[in-house]
Amino acid sequence: MDIVLESLAKIVFMFLLIMGMVPALIWAERKGAAFIQDRTGPNRASIAGIRLAGLVHPIADVLKLVFKEDIAPTHRHRALYNLAPWLVMTVAVSTYAVIPFGDYLELGGKRIPLVVADLQVGLLYVLAVASLGTYGVVLAGWAANNKFTFLGGIRATAQMISYEISMGLAVMGLMLIFGTLRLTDIVAGQGGLLFGFLPMWGVVLQPLGFVLFITAVYAETNRNPFDLPEGESEIVAGYHLEYSSLKFALFFMAEYCHMVVGAAMISALYFGGYQIPWLPRPRLEQNAGLLLVIMLAAIIAVSLWFAVLFLRRVQREKGKFGDARDREPVLGAGLWLVIAAAAAGAFLLRPWEIGPAGASVAATVFQVGAFVGKVVFFAWLFIWVRWTLPRFRYDQLMRLGWKVMLPLGLANLVVTALVLAAVGGGK
Amino acid sequence: MEAFLFWSCGALMVLGGVMMVLQRSAVVAALWLVFAFIAASGVFAVLHAPFLAIMQVLVYAGAIMVLFLFVIMMLQGPVMEGERKRMALPLWPAAAIPPLAVLVLVGAWVSQRTPEPLRTALPDGFGGPRDVAAALLGRYLLAFELISVVLLVAIVGALALGHGERKAS
Repeated sequence: MDIVLESLAKIVFMFLLIMGMVPALIWAERKGAAFIQDRTGPNRASIAGIRLAGLVHPIADVLKLVFKEDIAPTHRHRALYNLAPWLVMTVAVSTYAVIPFGDYLELGGKRIPLVVADLQVGLLYVLAVASLGTYGVVLAGWAANNKFTFLGGIRATAQMISYEISMGLAVMGLMLIFGTLRLTDIVAGQGGLLFGFLPMWGVVLQPLGFVLFITAVYAETNRNPFDLPEGESEIVAGYHLEYSSLKFALFFMAEYCHMVVGAAMISALYFGGYQIPWLPRPRLEQNAGLLLVIMLAAIIAVSLWFAVLFLRRVQREKGKFGDARDREPVLGAGLWLVIAAAAAGAFLLRPWEIGPAGASVAATVFQVGAFVGKVVFFAWLFIWVRWTLPRFRYDQLMRLGWKVMLPLGLANLVVTALVLAAVGGGK
Repeated sequence: MEAFLFWSCGALMVLGGVMMVLQRSAVVAALWLVFAFIAASGVFAVLHAPFLAIMQVLVYAGAIMVLFLFVIMMLQGPVMEGERKRMALPLWPAAAIPPLAVLVLVGAWVSQRTPEPLRTALPDGFGGPRDVAAALLGRYLLAFELISVVLLVAIVGALALGHGERKAS
């Protein structure tokens, strides 16, 4: 019974992490795009006149999509048309099952590994689920019975098949080095140091593999510069053209879920997952008190800095709008002051006197935090790349996949195997 | 539990196969075949062969059938207006569901009652990539390499046939 409860708790944590990041990413995408293109971005939606820096927009989006009429083409293939969005979303969230988001949590003398399913073939599971993702896109394109959606579906198939191979080849190098397909072992193996000072992360051991992998992940998520299945200037909106209301919302959310999955995979395979460089688990536990104090002090300093920024805006923009918008900087300053006060209040709990059990929990929290931080960074990288690079032409896409990435992947694999054989490493 | 999962995956596999044969639309038939492959992967998983189970999905469902779908769609194009009625699902194969359910229950019941000496004898990591690799690249190396030669011949043959036709037309 315990194991069921534990698994349920882990599944809920992972699900909330993804679902919480989706609206945050949509906001970050809009504001990021605006920042990169030197404009303000969404700032119209408001609650009682307060705009919250555009954070109200995702809520408005959800309301709009829920209450919109669900318009479907008459000549669709009914069953497959309804199946496709569901399939896309299911595939997008089920990859999480094997990604470790922390080492273990020690509660009441029991060690709970922080991964939903520790599969012996976890790495292959990720690739298998990713390859099933093609079906949702293809079926959406075909079942809507429209030439533009159909072209989008066909493009998606060709693209995903081409880049899956490079993805598998890139990951193969890591498999050779760590001698396992279990994701927990791969992440645990990245905890050491190389030559005594470099963190033994996948990106250090397999730089070329990392470049190939991240390119393939971008192609698999169908995002710019690989968003040819959507290509709005050529085929309108590609495979999800004929979907509206919540069915479209599922495609939309699935794209962001894929981004989070991709970011989580990149950080787990090539950036040490939950590992904090130079701070392995035993050292984290020994210095938990000191680290907590440093972290709280940092939180206080940063939030005070933001509060000061907002307070200066309060002074500068006094009576600028003449309505509720004038209260926004006051609210911002108040929010950051509350956070600073909460962090200062935490000092009353004497974090430097933390016991061994508390130190273990604190170490776990630090590691999960490191993992989430890496995921957030790589999710932002997706946005950054999207608004920086132009879209590929279709022949360029195929040439890159088959004539550049595939040979490079093979070469990487052969060189890795030769080096490992020469050094006598690997398992 | 294990027996029940084994027999239900088996029944789903049979269902997928039967439905695939009965479909008029090639796309829907291909999807039922994918369904059967995933059920087969479930059977492998219950039989303690995780590597085979994942490979079944990765290679058959994820790569080969996607290519099949690609080709079917390329040749067929989007569904035409008049074809909509013909694609309606025939209902009579649903009659196969009760016998399949009975088969699942009886099979699960029977195998629950038979002792399984195998289950305790499985070593740790059984059916994992290491075991499969050792068997394929050790004991059955020659057969394994010969199969890849056969596949190579098939590819070259397909290319030769395809090119020959294009020149003739």
